[in-house]
Order: sequence, then C-alpha cells, then structure tokens
Amino acid sequence: MDYKLQVGVQSHLEQMGSLEDRSMQDLHDECLHSPETDARKNQTTYSNEPLPFSDGRLPAGCNNMIGHGVYRSIKTVVFSNKLNLLMPFGPLAILVHKLTAHNGWVFSLSLLGITPLAERLGYATEQLAFYTGPTIGGLLNATFGNATELIISIYALKSGMTRVVQLSLLGSILSNMLLVLGCAFFCGGLVYHRKEQVFNKATAIVNSGLLLMAVMGLLFPAVLHYTHTERQYGKSELSLSRFSSCVMLVAYAAYLVFQLKGQNDLYAPINEENLDDDDDDDDDDDDDDDDDEAPEISKWESGIWLVILTAWISILSDYLVDTIQGASEAWDVSIAFISVILLPIIGNAAEHASAIMFAMKDKLDISLGVAIGSSTQISMFGIPFCVVIGWIMGQEMDLNFQLFETATLFITVIVVAFFLQEGTSNYFKGLMLILAYLIVAASFFAHEDPTSANEKKQP
Amino acid sequence: MDYKVQVGVQSHLEMGPLDDRTMEDLDDECLFPSEMDAQKTQSVDPNQHISVSGSLPFNGNKMTRNGVYKSIKTVVFSNKLNLLMPFGPLAILVHKMTDSNGWVFFLSLLGITPLAERLGYATEQLAFFTGPTVGGLLNATFGNATELIISIYALKSGMKRVVQLSLLGSILSNMLLVLGCAFFCGGLVYHGKEQVFSKATAVVNSGLLLMAVMGLLFPAVLHYTHTERHVGKSELALSRFSSCVMLLAYAAYLVFQLKSQTDLYVPLGEEVNQNGENLDNNDDDEDEAPEISKWESIIWLLIMTVWISILSDYLVDTIEGASDAWDVPIAFISVILLPIIGNAAEHASAIMFAMKDKLDISLGVAIGSSTQISMFGIPFCVVIGWMMGQEMDLNFQLFETATLFITVIVVAFFLQEGTSNYFKGLMLILCYLIVAASFFVHEDPPTDDQSKQPGT
Repeated sequence: MDYKLQVGVQSHLEQMGSLEDRSMQDLHDECLHSPETDARKNQTTYSNEPLPFSDGRLPAGCNNMIGHGVYRSIKTVVFSNKLNLLMPFGPLAILVHKLTAHNGWVFSLSLLGITPLAERLGYATEQLAFYTGPTIGGLLNATFGNATELIISIYALKSGMTRVVQLSLLGSILSNMLLVLGCAFFCGGLVYHRKEQVFNKATAIVNSGLLLMAVMGLLFPAVLHYTHTERQYGKSELSLSRFSSCVMLVAYAAYLVFQLKGQNDLYAPINEENLDDDDDDDDDDDDDDDDDEAPEISKWESGIWLVILTAWISILSDYLVDTIQGASEAWDVSIAFISVILLPIIGNAAEHASAIMFAMKDKLDISLGVAIGSSTQISMFGIPFCVVIGWIMGQEMDLNFQLFETATLFITVIVVAFFLQEGTSNYFKGLMLILAYLIVAASFFAHEDPTSANEKKQP
Repeated sequence: MDYKVQVGVQSHLEMGPLDDRTMEDLDDECLFPSEMDAQKTQSVDPNQHISVSGSLPFNGNKMTRNGVYKSIKTVVFSNKLNLLMPFGPLAILVHKMTDSNGWVFFLSLLGITPLAERLGYATEQLAFFTGPTVGGLLNATFGNATELIISIYALKSGMKRVVQLSLLGSILSNMLLVLGCAFFCGGLVYHGKEQVFSKATAVVNSGLLLMAVMGLLFPAVLHYTHTERHVGKSELALSRFSSCVMLLAYAAYLVFQLKSQTDLYVPLGEEVNQNGENLDNNDDDEDEAPEISKWESIIWLLIMTVWISILSDYLVDTIEGASDAWDVPIAFISVILLPIIGNAAEHASAIMFAMKDKLDISLGVAIGSSTQISMFGIPFCVVIGWMMGQEMDLNFQLFETATLFITVIVVAFFLQEGTSNYFKGLMLILCYLIVAASFFVHEDPPTDDQSKQPGT
C-alpha cells in the first residue's frame, strides 16, 4: 500500500529508486554489476573491499557487524548504480578548483559530480519513505523530489543571483515537460508502435490545471512590470509575487491533501512487478527492519545517507553557483542558456532515464508522474518556495521572470496540456515534444538576458 | 416548458420564485416563514389592509389596491436581500447632505444589489407570459441589465475606461469567483463523488469566451505594437466592426440554443410546479404559475430599471471620489469591488444550486453570464458608444487583455472535463485571489478621457 501511495503522489520522482537501479541495469549491456540480485552485486565489487559472505551470515564480533553494516550500506547505496561512476567527479571538481582557476572545468565537473548524488538522494528519500508511513512518505517524495534543484537555487539566492534561480527552475520545468516527457513518449511509442499507449487522463489534467495556475501566477507580475502599470515601481511586483507565492503554496498543499485523500481510486496498481523484484532483496538484508516491500537499507541508514548526500550536494552546488559566470565566459554561451538548458538536462539525467525506461515497459503513468509531476512540483512548490526563502533572506526574488521566459513557459504549458488531454501517446507525439524542446533550446541559445549581465556574486 | 426554456438559455441568471423559496430555505432567519404565498400575506406589516388570498373584494378600487399591495409584497418583501433596499434612497440623501463620495458610492452600491436581483426576478416573471422564444431572449438580454445600465451611464459621462474595467471585472468574477465558490461548496457537500455537468454547454461557452478574447485581443495588440494604419482611428473602426461581428455571433448562439435546447437540459418542472400551484389564485396562470401578472411584471421591470438608473448615476459620479477617499485605484474598484457586490445575488444562487447537485444551473449562472457580458454586453456598449459619439473601443489595454486571456484559458481548461470537485473550486478561487491582488497593485495609465464630462 505504501508503494501505491507513492505512485499516487504525483511528484514521486525517485521512488522507483530500487526498481530503477535494477531495470536500468537490465537496459545497459555493460553493467557494473550483474543483474537483479544484490547478492551478486556484493560479489563483483572492487577487490580492495573485504566482504563477508552474501548469504546473510552474521560475523561474530559486534565491531565486525557494524563494520559490515557500514560496508553493506555503502555497497547498497554507493555501488549499486552505474551512474555512480560519476561520483569521483565531485571531489575532482574541488581539486581542480583549488589547483587552477579554470571555471569552465570546475563547473562541468561539479555538474557531473552532482548528477549521481541527486539520484542517490532520491533513492534515500524513497527508502526513508518506506518507514514513515504512506502520508509522510508521500509528503517526503512531494517535497524532496526536486531537492537538488532547490538546494542549487538556495545557494544561488544566497549569492544574490536571483536571475539564475529563476532561469534554472524555469529550465527544469521546460526540460521535464518537453524533453523528458517527449523522450518517454517517443521511446515507448517506438517499442509499442502497433498500439497507442494510454495513461490516466484525470491526473494529467489535474497537473495541467496546476501548471496553468502556476503560469497565471507568473504572468501577472511579468505583465505588470512590462506594461509599466505598477503602482510603486519595483515594490509592487515584489509584494504581488510574495502574495501569489503564498497563494500557490496553499494551492499545492491543498493538492497534496486532495491527492492523499482521493488517490485510492485513481491510480493503476503497479504492485506485481515491483514486489517480484523486491523479494530478491529480502535474502540480503537480514539486519534491517523490513517493510512489506523490503526497503534495501534501514531507517537510520536512510536518514544518515540523506544527510550525507544533502551535504555533498550543497558543497558541489556552492562550486556550481560560484563558477557559472566563469563557465559562461569560458564557453562563450550566455548564462541564460547554461541555466535554462544545460543545468537541468544534466541534473535531471536520472529522472530522464527512469521515465524513458518506464515508458518502454508500458507504464506510462509512472513516466508521466516523473515528468509532469516534477514540473508541477517545481512550478507550484519550488518557485514559490524560493520566493519565500528569498523573502526570509532579504533577497528580492520575485515571480517576474521577464517577458521572454514567461511567454516561453506559457506556450509550453499550453502545448503540453493540449497534448496530454487525450490520454494517449505515440511516438509522433513524443517526437513533436522533443522538437519543441529543440526550438526552445535554440531560442535560449540566441537569447541575451538583459538582467543577467548585471548580476554579480555577492560575497 | 417555459422553465425549461429559461434554464436552457444560458444566461438565465435569476430563477426568481425558485430562488426565493430555496434561498429562504437556506437562510435561517427568513423574512417570511416558508414557501406559501398565503402565509406570506398573513405575516406582513399590520398597516396594510389585506384580504385573505383568494377571496375577491367587491368593488374595483379595493381590488386594484389589494392587487397593488399584493404585488408590492410579492416583489418587494419576499426576499431577504431586499433589506438592503433602503440604502438606495439613503445614498441619495447622503449625497445631497454631505460631500462624502466614498459613502455615497458604497451606499448606492449596496442599494443597487437588491434592485438587480429584483430586476432579474421581474424579467423572469415576464418571460412566463411571453412564450419560450421571447422569454429566452428576455433572459438573455436583460440577464445582465444592471451591468449594462451602469455601463451606459458611465459611457454618457465619457468614462469609457470604467466601462471596460467593470465589464471585464464582471466577466472575471463570474468565471473565477462565482464558479469557484460553486464548485468548492458543491464539492465539499458531495465530497464522496465527483459532480458532473453537461460538457457540451461548457465547451460551447468556452468557445464563445475564447472568441470574445480574440475580439478584444486584436485591437489591443494592434495598439500596443503601434502598427495601426491610422493611429486612434483604426482601433476604433476595428472595434466597431468586431463588435457587430460579435453581436451577430451572439444572436446565432441564441438561435442555436433555442432550437436545440430541448435535448440538452435537465427539466426543472417538478419542483416548480409543486410550489407554483399553491399560489396566485388571482392571476392568469401559466402552467408554472408565475407570481405576478403580465402587466405587473412590465411595470415592475420599468420601476426597477428607473431606480437602477438613478443609483447608477450616483455610482458613476462618485467612483473617482471613492477611489481617492479609500486610496485604492479606480481599476481595483471597477474590476474587483463593483462586480463582487453587484453580482451578490447570482453568486448566492450559483452556490446554492451547486450544493443541491444542480451544477448545470450553477454553470449557467456563472459561465452563461460571462458569455453574455463578453459576447453581448461589451459589443453592445461599443455600439451604444458609437451612437452616442463616444469613442468606446475594444482595446482594453495590454494588462487587462492578458488577464482575460489567461483566465479564459484556465477556466476553459478546467471545464473541459465535465466534472467538478472541491479542489477545482479552490483552485479557481485562488486564481481569483491572484487576479485581485494584481489589480490592487495595478495603476491604470492615465488617459485623456477619464474625467466626467459635464452636462449629462
């Protein structure tokens, strides 16, 4: 029932953590570990780690047990995902930063370093959600689903780079709605090209409605500013933005309540396949307190990993935000392009892959949850939350995303809402969404942001 | 069948007798005990000599007088909302005695509210007698008579911006606030299931609203991009042409509704008949037993219109003063305050019908009213301005046009599914909050013809 609930809450990005890992390994021919059983994962790890037997035998001494527990935890969390090959790039970025002044390299290295951490963070969140019951679990997923973007945004806010915050959140929404969804539709449509895949229209429409409401919240400050019709120049948009943000947060909270109360009827059960895979894990985790769906690590491990990963992501985000201007100059692309296109694509790589994978397994509802749910969460929770955080910090973050960006979001939401309203998908729809994203990306490549040029990092 | 027609025509705002009785059912403190006119006549002011309903007095004078009394009772005293009626004369009094524009504005606004409701009631009563077609037309045209009267007065004073803003505000409040409250309250009452409504009518109305947005968008964009051929004159000519086209579309819509409406709408006949049969032994009754006679309806219609006109005059005169006194922009008063208070009766009836699981009627009240104002009210005002020589056009300025555009899209999207729940209602209400907040901080750029022209 926990699993159903987590599917129900639309912003369940990383709940499919354990399933993802195993299925992603199915997809890739060259796997770091042989498929589907943790036992075999234990066997084929790096040779420099002394491992106990994988059949669950407990070593004699307590120290050994804790040591093994830690090892197993590290193994499960760190080494069970091919994506984690990118992990060394994090420390490497810090090294390069200290050794050279090459901002471009530091930026790309920290970006690559954040990617696996983001995915693991979602995994840890989902593991924790096993232990906290359906309601809190759903809330956890709903709030921390996009924790990476929020952490990056908060660091940018602290540096006073409100424009980067706006652009990166916008880019995250656009990439989720167009690129991730389009790829999912496209790949799923290719695999199932004889029939049309269907998904739950009701949830898609609710999400589209929320996205439209978010566009409304963003449109008014932008138009107010653009038509120079605010009562007090500068201050009006800010107070309107703050008020609208509170309204949007209330709407998001009501949405969560509505979802958690009514989700029993609305969503297709996906239990069967998940439970089969989870059962394989039961052989391994004799030390843990298991739930029905057998989470892979214990509650405390989840919490600790959550904290560790968050700390690491924060460190790398700091470098990321510091070097974004340098990278922009080094590569000769505008900050807008980096924030809107590059950052989200690479940051969202894990969600991207999982959405495609689920579409290819004809589980379009989950793909939709990953893609559109993430967009809804960022637009109705992430952006207003950043405005409120900025309010608390004393930064003047508002909802005026400037006319070009607001227009882009508006037309994108309308296009996507239109595509989703039928409840079916095929490869052509996917292709159209991807091509639309290409157009958006090209527009931002050619777009010089008037305000970014003025932003400097405040010490 | 008349009632069916009236339900069918989308702009049926006032379900008069049904409204009163069911609204009284809702309210605990009623002016009158319950549903029968007989009881109404018994518990009235002692200084009115009234015979028992149903017995005819002997001579003609008494009969006329009793008819008048009964008429006054039925029309004036049968609705709790009419407690606000004294505010009308009070507004005139305050205006003559003091200079407080804020108070006069506020009091005339309160005074208009019950008159607007009674006007709708009289219109609907008259519709009983005129047959389905003309009845439907009457409802369609006079459903928003109050807004039109206020607008015509504002036009006469040359305050075309107030006209544009108040009509826009009426559309916005109907689409977001009234509909949102109806969905929300209905959803809370029926939270176990999703309420459904007729998708077809909602979609047709959404289409008409989008067409209205189109009609408003082009003059605004033309002006804003400075690409008109003759500055100032092009938009006006385009607006007038578009208005004629929109009126044509609205007429076609009425024809379409009246011809096909027998299939589309849920019959309300039963409930009305039960209440209708108990009343009005004196009148020439139709099947659904209107409460007052044909001539009474017409006379009351005229009286209400005259009263509304008088109060509208004061309203329009004092709007600028009220804006200064309360330190809110005129835009906010016109777009947010005026429509909310003016539409109070429709608002209450829409909520009530939603709570009775009659969402189609609520939708008719809310969206039908929006459609009527956008496709009939606004173009009609442009044409009236044309005749008066006022330069009223469809260029609502970019901010307002953008607001209308996004609102219509959001609402059309919400309606297309054909179901409702409390969350959708809540979202619509929150959207209205955002819109209201935007207008609170929105300073309308000053134009030349804002001041009231003397001699009107």
